[in-house]
Amino acid sequence: MNTRFTSLSFLFKDKLTKFASLTLVTFIIVAIFGPWIAPNAQQGRGTANIDDSFIGPGKAHWLGTDELGRDLLSRIIFGARPALLIALAVVAFAAIIGTALGLIAGFRGGWIDNTIMRMSELFLSFPPLLLSLVAVTFLGPGLINALIALIISWWPWYTRLIRVEARIVAAKPFVEISSAMGVPNRIVIIRHILRNVTTPLIVQVAADLGTVILAAGSLAFIGLGAQPPSADWGLMVAQGRNVIFDQWWISTFSGLAIFLAVLAFNILGDALRDHFDPRISRQ
Amino acid sequence: MRILWKRLSSALLVLIGASFITFTLARVIPSDPALAYIGPKATAADAERLRVTLGLDQPIPIQYFKYLGQTFHGNWGYSLSTKQSVLKEITDRLPATLELIFFAIGFAIIFGVTLGVLAAKYRGRFQDSLIRIISIAGVSMPAFWFGLLLQLLFAGRLGWFPATGEFDIEVKYDNPIHKVTGFPILDSLITGNFSAATNGLHHMVLPALTLSAYSFGLLSRMARANMLEVLSQDHIKVSRAYGLSERIIFFKLALRNALPPIVTVTGLSIAYLITGTFFVEQVYNWPGIGSFAVNSLISIDYPAIMGITLLAAIGYLVTNFIVDLIQAKLDPRVGMR
Amino acid sequence: MALSTFSPSSRNRFVAVATALLLGAASLSIPSSAQAATLFKVATSAAVTTWDPIQSFSTEAFYMTNIYEPLLWKNPDAAADDYSPALATSWNSSKDGKTWTFKLRAGATFHDGTPVNAAAVKASIESSKAVGGAGFIWDPLKTIDTPSADTVVFNLSYPAPLDLIASSTYGAYIISPAALAAVAKDAKYYDSGKDGGSGPYTISSYKAGSSVVLTAYAKHWADVKPAYSTIDISITPDGITAQQMMTSGQVDWATNIPLTSVKSFRTNNKYKVAVYKSPFNYVGYFNTLRAPLNNPVVRQALSYAINYRDIVKVGGQGYATQARGPVPAGIYPFDKNIPQYSRQLAKAKSLLASAGVKNLKLKITYASENSAEARFVPLIKDAFESIGVSADVQGILFNQQWAAAKKDPANAQDLFIVKYWPTYSDAGVDNLWSLFHSSTKPFFNLSYWKNATYDKLIDDAITLSGSDKAGAQKLYSQAMNILFTEAPGLYLYDESQVSVLPKKFIIPSYNINYPFSAFFAGVKLAS
Repeated sequence: MNTRFTSLSFLFKDKLTKFASLTLVTFIIVAIFGPWIAPNAQQGRGTANIDDSFIGPGKAHWLGTDELGRDLLSRIIFGARPALLIALAVVAFAAIIGTALGLIAGFRGGWIDNTIMRMSELFLSFPPLLLSLVAVTFLGPGLINALIALIISWWPWYTRLIRVEARIVAAKPFVEISSAMGVPNRIVIIRHILRNVTTPLIVQVAADLGTVILAAGSLAFIGLGAQPPSADWGLMVAQGRNVIFDQWWISTFSGLAIFLAVLAFNILGDALRDHFDPRISRQ
Repeated sequence: MRILWKRLSSALLVLIGASFITFTLARVIPSDPALAYIGPKATAADAERLRVTLGLDQPIPIQYFKYLGQTFHGNWGYSLSTKQSVLKEITDRLPATLELIFFAIGFAIIFGVTLGVLAAKYRGRFQDSLIRIISIAGVSMPAFWFGLLLQLLFAGRLGWFPATGEFDIEVKYDNPIHKVTGFPILDSLITGNFSAATNGLHHMVLPALTLSAYSFGLLSRMARANMLEVLSQDHIKVSRAYGLSERIIFFKLALRNALPPIVTVTGLSIAYLITGTFFVEQVYNWPGIGSFAVNSLISIDYPAIMGITLLAAIGYLVTNFIVDLIQAKLDPRVGMR
Repeated sequence: MALSTFSPSSRNRFVAVATALLLGAASLSIPSSAQAATLFKVATSAAVTTWDPIQSFSTEAFYMTNIYEPLLWKNPDAAADDYSPALATSWNSSKDGKTWTFKLRAGATFHDGTPVNAAAVKASIESSKAVGGAGFIWDPLKTIDTPSADTVVFNLSYPAPLDLIASSTYGAYIISPAALAAVAKDAKYYDSGKDGGSGPYTISSYKAGSSVVLTAYAKHWADVKPAYSTIDISITPDGITAQQMMTSGQVDWATNIPLTSVKSFRTNNKYKVAVYKSPFNYVGYFNTLRAPLNNPVVRQALSYAINYRDIVKVGGQGYATQARGPVPAGIYPFDKNIPQYSRQLAKAKSLLASAGVKNLKLKITYASENSAEARFVPLIKDAFESIGVSADVQGILFNQQWAAAKKDPANAQDLFIVKYWPTYSDAGVDNLWSLFHSSTKPFFNLSYWKNATYDKLIDDAITLSGSDKAGAQKLYSQAMNILFTEAPGLYLYDESQVSVLPKKFIIPSYNINYPFSAFFAGVKLAS
């Protein structure tokens, strides 16, 4: 492990990063302890209370209520868990698949490398998010399908990133030496390459978490992601849109949650990048 | 020349591959495309008849090769929901989207580069942090939400700008735009139809602003970083030592040197704008490819989806190609790969 | 509505100042010409799935009723006469209800200038019967005779209410022979926005998915010419966008104001809100093939769990009434004596217990593009949970929902929510038959329910309705009582049609028999 990980002080290096770290910690706490924090957990889960529909923000409901009379703050709190989980799941699966393929491509070289890289090039020939949109349409709207669709278009970024690093490492003398000394290939890969690609991987993951939240929210907004009665931020923006001129608070606050989460991840992604390696960026 | 051919042929391969991916996805649909075509109240016999007409009864590989051949010959199929030729739908709607992208990228470059340069100039000071916050907010902004907020505030509450559409409906009757290039605002300017042009620009402000947020953020961050890098380079230091005025150094030398990476980022951000238009056009009811794309997606209009995907992939490739060309022009050392 | 608090003049000044500042341009206001006075601007969600009047079976009816004419128009319930003459001026039937004679209007012409005559009527209806999506409405028709140019005689194989059929929204338009010949040669003839109608308007421009322009047909037979010679229609699927267009003055009238916004128009003195009965009805199909839903007691228990009041309030935003079975109020053979379920949790629980059901988990599907369903379906889940039945709700596109339900019924959803309406104003032939009559292959009977008594009642009623409407009604009512006790479906609510009308104009009232249509010839400026 890189020794620079031992100190996390860079996460609080200036006001902006401090703000981002605190926001993120809040979201994580809310995601874990939501049911205990929410003013009305029952409504957060989706139980309607028709008689209170469309109450504006105020003392009784800090952020107002939605059309089913549910406390909006509770709904947003319950939306934190799926938002963070889907981001984690997409990035984790994409990183695992992408890393595995990238390692194989980078280390084996030859036709295997060619095939894998051509494949990922194909997936990258779609403008960002387009492939996910198309995939989720044909798979059918829903949270799980949105997850699959996002993974489909995300893995090649990791393959590309890891392959470059793996190539560099694979060409280094110590790999050749250890191969010559009879250490089996697999162990070489795991020990040396994986260790060396950890840093760029972590930087990429941090930057992607925010992007995935944004992407999942976008899918939900046009009706291709999570479906009612799920508490999903993007879906809530879409639902609030129908009443935006009269009940402005629903879309405004749900979208604000997405914005803040993405903002926090982006700021921290920047901080990580500056800290570890200013050279790395997705281009 | 050979490089050009190589790039073209590899681009063609990529497009064929991309179409294969979309086609495969389209065939896993658990829905009935024939039904989308005739509506829910048709009889089973109607649906079966249509399935044969659309060729949906044939094996999938055959369907794919047929599709590929037809696409190559300019037959992109017919939209299931509008019944129009997909290619015609796309060419009819493309100008509106391209104008939107043009203005968005214009806003992004003007504001992004200016603010980025200013941030570099005031490095470490209050202005720098403020600009940093604005730019990072720009890249974190969900376009659909930003669009709604602008609409709510500037169209709904203040009434300064129209909330939706490309022109007022009256323009069509009172000041019809004569077609020259097909780009409505450009055409109205060329033909001296200024009342249509101002109306179009008035409608353009909010959507273009919404769409530009991401590129703006990206550009201002890139501009700042490049300016700082260039300013620290030797020849700038030398010019400073020779006593060239601060302002001339700043704008002439530094900006010129920072230009190539800015071009790259502009190209990169156009890729994001392509899908960005989906959401912006949806919010602003813009009669372009983006709103057509969203409508096709939510109604599983697969010929339209395939056409739009292909177009987007072509747009993406062309943008990258142009960026490389400009790069090579601006900085001969880069050359073409 | 915050917007309406601005007076128009102050708003325009705002716009002008803002634009001048922003663009450095002068004023923005477009000089209004003489044309503007005859231009009526509309926003609607109505998509055009086809311009072919014979294939038409969907929302394009919004335009079609202005472009084409049937033999008769059916009037809303409250009217003195059942029908208004359209291309036929008089008609009668033989005593046995098997021969119908229509006299055609003199002087009616198609938009291509050719006269509307008996031959054109025969050709239109025969071709509709042969190929149309709604062609089944002519099922009783055997042959058409044309003894003279202005007389058409329909010979039926069994008695049927041909006046009702001839006034259908779908499949009953009379079309110019030239257009019929053209479409026979080129199936895409209509696609660019051509028409072959005789109505007060003709299509002058069509931009797929974005706009339709209708212009008045100068030689239309009616004495009173339309007040607006140009109708500009923006296709705006999104209700909130349409609302914004109307309140900001971009369009004169928006037909698809979201139900959730209607409240704010009630207090706005520029608009009035008109509420009518509509043929739209929300039903849930229980999957009667699967245990324990194959037990009527369980279906009854679930029906007693539903909070109908809340569903009406949320789904219809108050503009709805709890349904009495699958026949919407205001449409034959509706019967106000058919019983309804109400929320009785204790009873629901005891019925469930008596059926020995525990730990039931149901899968509910609904059409995600239907915003009312998206609003109220979560309440069904809540209701089931309150009697210990858990539910998994799935919103998918109607296409996918329907395809999945037909593919493998035994392993499909447990409850399928659908919005349904009759093709023409007979919910016996349509709703009662289509939704719950058994069939070998499921089509719209997605409860997969089979009940021989019910089937016989419906079959007999349909044959009887041509000659003896009251007798048929009795059979239908018996059948509807079976639907109540056997509960193969969950009968949710009848939706009302809510129109938000600008007071500046007089707009013809909604006609339940043409639920998707607006009639622009009658639009006038209010004095």
